[in-house]
Amino acid sequence: MREIVRRRTQIATVLCLLAAARMAPAKAAPAEKYLHVRVEDPTKGEDVSVNVPLSMAEKILPAINNHDLHDGKVSIPNAEMNGVDVRALLDAVRTAPDNEFVTVKDKNSDVRVAKANGNIIVHVSDKRDKEEKVDVTVPLKVVDALFATAKGDELDIAAALRALSDAGDILLVTVKDSSQKVRVWVDSQNTQDSGNHDRREGSEPKAGSDR
Amino acid sequence: MILLGKIALGMAGVGLAGVGLLCSEGFVQVKVIEKEPQGRHINLIAPAILAPIAVHFAPQRDLAQAAREIRPYLPAIRAALDGLRDTDDVVLVEVKEPEERVQVSKSSRSIVVDVDDANETVHVSTPIRAISSTVEELATATSNRL
Repeated sequence: MREIVRRRTQIATVLCLLAAARMAPAKAAPAEKYLHVRVEDPTKGEDVSVNVPLSMAEKILPAINNHDLHDGKVSIPNAEMNGVDVRALLDAVRTAPDNEFVTVKDKNSDVRVAKANGNIIVHVSDKRDKEEKVDVTVPLKVVDALFATAKGDELDIAAALRALSDAGDILLVTVKDSSQKVRVWVDSQNTQDSGNHDRREGSEPKAGSDR
Repeated sequence: MILLGKIALGMAGVGLAGVGLLCSEGFVQVKVIEKEPQGRHINLIAPAILAPIAVHFAPQRDLAQAAREIRPYLPAIRAALDGLRDTDDVVLVEVKEPEERVQVSKSSRSIVVDVDDANETVHVSTPIRAISSTVEELATATSNRL
């Protein structure tokens, strides 16, 4: 009798363990990343928000074959590269320490290009209109992905999106002028509530502080 | 008596299977509320499977233009629907203007379009699976024609 009870207890234990193993997630899936675009025009009372899951964009891009976009890659005619070896240029930037590479200041504008914390940062402001500012932050990993598998005059947008998914939360582009404000960023939130917005602006990549 | 019972059971089974088939792709909901004092309120809920069936039986010549127009975008549409199926619920696009608000979202395996303007409120909800089946029917119509 004891033997039967012991065997049943063993079987029950094994079944419980199997059930628990099945219920437990094998491995935490990485959070979905979203590409957010927000265009605000308070003067007209207009507000446009776009939220695109990066995984969806990664699936759609290779399916679009139109004009210069094909198989997730976009062709840029040689003429637009102006004979510049972009790969060599990027390699030089990648291996260089954090620094401000380009600073152009004249009476009308202020342009700065820098590398900081693994990001390439471009800042442009128009002095004629004090409110007109453009800030672009692109992780070097994303830039690398753009050129890694692309041939000659191509940019691999699909690979860049994949790299962007792994790059963490980042504010990519802000454009401000007297009437409009445009922001492009990536994070794990599927909404654009104002709280996240303000926080995100405040937690702009450290490179932003160099500007 | 037993025979009658069997016939009744069979008919009930067929009825249930029919209802199951009708519900298999979910429901399309169209809700329109006009904001005028005597404005109409329309709330239409229909089995989503009717959409691909309607495309299947529609006269080929009537579908010609739609089929021709959709053909270049078929791979992208398929990829988009495939991607949408796998993502969490999300507001894809939201446009707010002083007198109009448009929202396109993915909610519980459906694409939902909400429009709210000065004259009316419109809500359209369509299951992604039904959109996919309808697009495939159109694609078939296209390939049959070629």
